[in-house]
Amino acid sequence: MNEFLTQFVIESRELVEQATEGLLVLEHSPHDAERLDSVFRAFHTLKGGAGIVEFAAMERAVHAAEEILSGARAGKRTLTTALVGDCLACLDQVIQWLDAVEQTGELPSSAANTKADDTWLADMLERNPEVRAQVATALQFIPDPDCFYQGEDPLARITALPELLALDVQPMAAWPALNSFDPYKCNLVLTALTAASMGEVTAHMHGHSGTCEIQTISDVRTTPPASALPAQARNILTEQRAMLSHATAANLAGFVASAGLAAGNALRSCALAETAAIIAQATESSLSANSPEPLRHAISQLLSPTPAAVTETTKVSSKPEATAQTLRIDARRVDALVRLTGELTVAKNAAGHVAKLAQQEGNAIAGLLKDRQVVLERLIAELQESVLGMRVLPLRSVLQRFPRVVREMSLNLGKPLTLEIEGDDTEADKAIVEMLFEPLLHIVRNAIDHGIESLGERAARGKPPTARIRIRAARQADQVIIEISDDGGGIDVDRVREIARTRGVATEEELRLMPEMDIIDLVFAAGFSTAAKVTELSGRGVGLDAVRTAVERIGGRVSLESRAGDGATVRFSLPFSVMMTQVMTVEASGQMFGVPLDAIVETVSVPRTAIVGIGAAHAIVLRNRTVPVVDLAAILGLREAMSGETDATIVITSVAGHFGGLHVDRIGQRLEVILKPLDGLLTGMPGITGTTLLGDGRVLLVLDIGELLQ
Amino acid sequence: MTIKVSPAGNIELIGICSSDEGEVLLQHLLATPHMMVDWRACEAAHTAVIQVLMATRPGLLGPPAALLLEKWVQPVLAATMDK
Repeated sequence: MNEFLTQFVIESRELVEQATEGLLVLEHSPHDAERLDSVFRAFHTLKGGAGIVEFAAMERAVHAAEEILSGARAGKRTLTTALVGDCLACLDQVIQWLDAVEQTGELPSSAANTKADDTWLADMLERNPEVRAQVATALQFIPDPDCFYQGEDPLARITALPELLALDVQPMAAWPALNSFDPYKCNLVLTALTAASMGEVTAHMHGHSGTCEIQTISDVRTTPPASALPAQARNILTEQRAMLSHATAANLAGFVASAGLAAGNALRSCALAETAAIIAQATESSLSANSPEPLRHAISQLLSPTPAAVTETTKVSSKPEATAQTLRIDARRVDALVRLTGELTVAKNAAGHVAKLAQQEGNAIAGLLKDRQVVLERLIAELQESVLGMRVLPLRSVLQRFPRVVREMSLNLGKPLTLEIEGDDTEADKAIVEMLFEPLLHIVRNAIDHGIESLGERAARGKPPTARIRIRAARQADQVIIEISDDGGGIDVDRVREIARTRGVATEEELRLMPEMDIIDLVFAAGFSTAAKVTELSGRGVGLDAVRTAVERIGGRVSLESRAGDGATVRFSLPFSVMMTQVMTVEASGQMFGVPLDAIVETVSVPRTAIVGIGAAHAIVLRNRTVPVVDLAAILGLREAMSGETDATIVITSVAGHFGGLHVDRIGQRLEVILKPLDGLLTGMPGITGTTLLGDGRVLLVLDIGELLQ
Repeated sequence: MTIKVSPAGNIELIGICSSDEGEVLLQHLLATPHMMVDWRACEAAHTAVIQVLMATRPGLLGPPAALLLEKWVQPVLAATMDK
């Protein structure tokens, strides 16, 4: 794909997002003038972009939507839900086109087919510069080939057009050899320019047979004759200038920026980068002067045929161009950098180990080595931070997809909904942001489908008819917290208990002893689904357990809090970055293991007698709470369970709200490691989440506490 | 008959030429490809006739009698002849 098309796709996607977001707001507050302007500008710039890459079909589609919005801005019509739907449908089509462009590297062929349709107008205007000032309407008439039999005389009809200014007749297909030429078949395309209005022309063409395209040329009427610019660029520039004249104080900045961008792109597409720089300069001046005049003047200069523009060109373009503040870098390059930094950390840890050895042996340079190592450690930590910072994305890229989802569900299920999104500028690692959509979608669908009551129930409970879904994201230390809450009915604990029992998720006995909180948590258990009727929207055979699995896979946690009759909140706690994991090393039977620090609550030392047997299992009582304890060495099959007189060291862990104790021989140190998932033969080994290299080259197995304590 | 061969050896279009006469004109031109078409007495010509002129590009003797033909159709034919 050429660079220009790449840029077009990236920019268009951003505009589609902007427009979608705005449209969804407008649906609820159709008179939000600022939002309307912003959406209009997005459509306008989209159209400009499509024009530059000569994507006629997209240009026309977006133009149609722009017309609707333009009518709304002028107060001629109100944006109804149906109209917003039409605009969104237009954006959907644009997204499909963009996907196709991205995949194939070129414009869809259906767009290419219609491309010729749009050039006739520009060509016709260009060929007849002397009448340009008077043209009001243009038309292209392709009579039906059999129209002569129907008594149609196309040429007579067109020459009789009121206020005809110019006429062009061309063969539709190349003329065949004369002996096979059929004089009764019409093979013509008639193009005409007239000073008559669209209405007059339409009336005149009434009853024709064939295809007829009629266009109004209001903007072009004032256009001065051809300058050195290609027709396409000139059309775009003319349009920008027309738009600028509608700018008001309130929307000025947006209009200027949008017009400047479209004009600049148009010029760059014609390889007029220098001229584009003038436009960029003029845009700047317009913005700083808070007036559209500088930009309008610059565009007018370019459109005028006098050489004034050229002199201006050399004068202004000698100023330095503003340098770009952002770079677009291939994600793979960043990943390579992250990997290298990881290796560097491992090398640094090894160096630390050497320094320690030197110190133990009383080596003279041990102190120096230690000093250097500390510096190295700090620098590498900084490096790592900035490298990981490069992979960081705002959650907006995921969350902005939800207004559409919620809108559609709201319409489909007949439940009026508002969606509030907070903290969408919260950042997280790219890998996390990208995997979040599916789990979040599942939760949101569940909340709407099962959580939010029907209108009748809401009324009975005295709740407002419009239900509220809120997605709130925030950074807490090295964690990213995302909360999805609704004001629906909350979780019906009795029903959960009943279903868990009938589906065999938990036994009667377990359920009886379980605190309410744990019962609610059962909705995340495998094999559980509360959907009484399976709707199209949620309950597609994948339970909430899939959500928990997906989130835990990247080192996050999911919890659910329910307020009976008052709604529920699902909380995702996610690591900020997936790359570094904090572990604590523990020793069992002479072997070292890592325990993820986020699973550790505390470490305690208890007399061995405090570990009491409960059936086949063991437990301790810690602050009035029974905590099951397992002997790490024993469950890993390293040796029999220990017994003795000394105190036992126990690591208290908490996974998904379940407390457990790991009985270990010794506690080691805290390490920040890069966890590598198990691969090859080790894949799927139970109880181990991954491995990392220790400073001395030994492999540290990092335990999967959740699995071990099950 | 509004299409006929004149004593001077030109094909003459006279008065109002209807759509049927496209075929007549074409036959004349096929038979004698180098004949000029004299449309000085032509008051109107159906698209079918004009289309034959566009496809065959004979030499034209003008201007035609009708103003509309002179103003709009003659330039179109002239542009075709130039090609």
